[in-house]
Amino acid sequence: MAYVLLAFACIAGAQSVNESVAGLISKGQSALDAGDFSQSAGDFERARQMAPDNLEVNRGLLLSYLQQNRLDEAEQTGRSAIARFPQDPQLLHWLGLVYFKRGRNAEALETLRQAEKIQNSQADIHFDTALVLLSDNQYPAAAIELEKAVQLDPKTALPHVLLGRAYQNTNRSEQAVEQFKLALRLEPELPLGHYHLGFAYASLGRNQEAIAEYEIEIKRSPHDFSTLYQLGHCLLAAGDYKSAIEHLQRASEMDPQNADAAYDLGKALLMQGETESAVAALQRAIALRADDPGVHYQLAWALEKAGRKDEAQREFQTFAALKKQQPVTGGMATGPIQ
Amino acid sequence: MGKLRSLRIAPFGSIAGAVFLIAAFSQLSFSQESAAVSKPPGKSKLSVSLSTPQVSFGDVTHAAGIDFHLTCGSREKRYIMDSMCGGIAVFDYDNDGWMDIFLVNGSTLEDLQNKKCNPSKLYHNNHDGTFTDVTANSGLTHCGWGFGVAVGDYDNDGWEDLYITYLDGGVLYHNDGDGAFTDVTAKAGVGNAGRWGTSAAFGDYDNDGFLDLYVANYVDLDLKHLPEFGQGPFCQYRGIPVSCGPRGLKGGRDRLYHNNGDGTFTDVTEKLNIDTDSYYGLGVLWLDYDMDGCEDLYVANDSSPSLLYRGDCKGGFTEVGVQAGVAYSADGREQAGMGIDSADYDNDGWPDIAKANFSDDTNNLYHNDHDGEFTDLAGPANFGQVSLPFLGFGLKFLDFDNDGWKDVFVANGHVNPQVDGHSFGVTYAERPLLFRNLKNGKFEEIGKRAGVALARRYVARGAATADFFNDGREDLLVSVLDGSPLLLRNETAKRGHWLRIKTVGTHSNRDGFGARVEVKAGGLRQSEEVRTNSSFESASDPRLHFGLGAAAQVDSIVIHWPSGKVDTLGPDSADQELVIQEGGVVTKRVYSEPTSPPHPKRKNSNQR
Repeated sequence: MAYVLLAFACIAGAQSVNESVAGLISKGQSALDAGDFSQSAGDFERARQMAPDNLEVNRGLLLSYLQQNRLDEAEQTGRSAIARFPQDPQLLHWLGLVYFKRGRNAEALETLRQAEKIQNSQADIHFDTALVLLSDNQYPAAAIELEKAVQLDPKTALPHVLLGRAYQNTNRSEQAVEQFKLALRLEPELPLGHYHLGFAYASLGRNQEAIAEYEIEIKRSPHDFSTLYQLGHCLLAAGDYKSAIEHLQRASEMDPQNADAAYDLGKALLMQGETESAVAALQRAIALRADDPGVHYQLAWALEKAGRKDEAQREFQTFAALKKQQPVTGGMATGPIQ
Repeated sequence: MGKLRSLRIAPFGSIAGAVFLIAAFSQLSFSQESAAVSKPPGKSKLSVSLSTPQVSFGDVTHAAGIDFHLTCGSREKRYIMDSMCGGIAVFDYDNDGWMDIFLVNGSTLEDLQNKKCNPSKLYHNNHDGTFTDVTANSGLTHCGWGFGVAVGDYDNDGWEDLYITYLDGGVLYHNDGDGAFTDVTAKAGVGNAGRWGTSAAFGDYDNDGFLDLYVANYVDLDLKHLPEFGQGPFCQYRGIPVSCGPRGLKGGRDRLYHNNGDGTFTDVTEKLNIDTDSYYGLGVLWLDYDMDGCEDLYVANDSSPSLLYRGDCKGGFTEVGVQAGVAYSADGREQAGMGIDSADYDNDGWPDIAKANFSDDTNNLYHNDHDGEFTDLAGPANFGQVSLPFLGFGLKFLDFDNDGWKDVFVANGHVNPQVDGHSFGVTYAERPLLFRNLKNGKFEEIGKRAGVALARRYVARGAATADFFNDGREDLLVSVLDGSPLLLRNETAKRGHWLRIKTVGTHSNRDGFGARVEVKAGGLRQSEEVRTNSSFESASDPRLHFGLGAAAQVDSIVIHWPSGKVDTLGPDSADQELVIQEGGVVTKRVYSEPTSPPHPKRKNSNQR
């Protein structure tokens, strides 16, 4: 009888523990949903003391650490959990992200690839694998992952944006345009969406459309340097020097250390006939990028047009000297080599 | 449970986003180069479109009896020479007043080894819209891998001669005046031996009355040690393996041959410091850009600075490309210059220059600033950015609607078939570009609206203009790699009056090359310079064509001859061709009704 009672007591105790673990998991999940990762970490830590071999507890704890950027604990938790559950795609996925956050991209990629093998139909895994590849400038491979991600989850804007950028960086600008358009259709207020679309249009020679996109973006983010600069750059190329100067001036003021903005401003001022201002802007550009022959070439022309012939000759000589030192660019078979 | 979701974790998104943006901007240099542009069309564009005639060019190649296939290396274009053929010449070889056609053929490595000939062809204009292949009796029989062709009457005998460039030299054919040509290369001393010539052009640089010859040489190629396709840093395009070069290969030094006036030439390349850096020469243009009465020379080079030689009127040259602003892009970069041409597109009296470049780069429109300098106005003229995805070769100014303002045609086609299948935004075959001059310093690209033939895509190379039908309209002839050429008849229905002038020098060279002709009509003053070679590897109709718009009368014609003489003629009526001899004598008038030519009748091959 005593044995029977003991047995009942044990069963009741086990049920009580199970009930408690289930409750903690539920609490932890709610905290995760609410973005309270400190709370979720605490809940899952307590749950793990009671049920160290529980898959969901390990998942929850790993995710909580990851969200809190407690990377040492996340890695330790992830590795020990995977020793128990080597075929769990979520654990592999999140451990891969831990490695990625720690800058260990090779391990991240290997772990994420394992997760993909087990669970190939999860958009998030492909998306995160693409993030790792993108951070390594592996655009073609990233594009493949993102293509899978958008196929599995076509309704989320961000993968379309990243896929667009991956295409853009592999010179597939037409496909990039399509992805940016899709992203903007899904999320019209997407930050930098119109900027990216404008960039892709410009690289296709579709300057009118590029300018239109940049102008939309600039209304939304009037203080975004990149958009201001690119808009000014396109306007300069289009021969609208007055507007170009306006935007490039603002971009230069916003980032006085940016040589591209100073250079383009100098060019625009020169084309507008404001030669002395052009000289000043180009001298600023040279101070920022002294070894760029193109800037000296442009300054030489500004000085020439300003009637400062001797100085112009010196700049032409500097240009020629720098040209000899540097590898040539432009011409046949000289696109970006991957 | 399975409730734990793979949350899209905000920090990762932002971290990755930041990383990615940095990476994206690392490509900025490429994209910046790409970004040059066209302004959004305003109301003025719309009004121009509605008020100007519908321009149309029709493909009449087959109806005209042109049956030619341009062979040029392998289909895969494994080697650099596989992509560079396409010379065409428009000239009146039999002096009947109608433009005939010569088409240069290339070859393949295999054909060269097997001594199999891919003949070039000479077509006679039958005056009825058709042409007859008269190659068989022409003596134009040299067998080799041909590229470009230059036209000029080097011995002033009144018959146009031909110089053809090959992979291993050049051949000068003397026009015997009876429909036959004789190879006089050895005697003349213009063999360009062992060198790969591309474009060539005749021009009288020392004003001695005899045409000299410039030959652009591209690459110093050793056929026994050709660089392997895709192997090496200069054998990649956007990360994909392609044919190698020209980078990594030794450039061929151009040659300048001085005409001694006795049927022989002297190579003055070294003496005059021509092309001392042996750049990759592709385009040649004689012009007098500073209007001092002496021929200057502009040479478009691939992947290296273009060269501008200013003639000193004493038989000497100074290379001034950088100082003049035509050596590099506006950003000081080397470009891949192919076809070049010159015309006064803004009618300010000074010759401007246009140059076609590689894809990912904009074509140039160098405006002559009247002070020895040029400014590239391709961007503000709406001429540049639209060309970005296109790889331009042949380029010609023409006035297709006879409104008195020079328009531009650009023949496009990539060098790497491998670009197809990648969404680079560039394709191997590309449509040509046709720019209408809006008369305000700007152009509008109307190629897609100028007939089905221009809306199609080709791997085009050479391009020439001519009034093949003598109907007062400038037509186009375009060579197509591994295909049939295109004879594009100008079918623009409503157009302006016109005047055509053929110059005949007496003290000057007999062709009158280098003569500057000014025509005043309807309040507009236009000027053109007599030449035949420009574009890419091609020679065009040497007769000057002036569109006169609504003006039915020409107020005056002034000819500045290379000899220094100036002839003034007029007033005269429009819609005619005048043959004007140095001294101001009109030796011939040919009136043409501004109506469509007779419907082309197909003649049997070899039938005259």
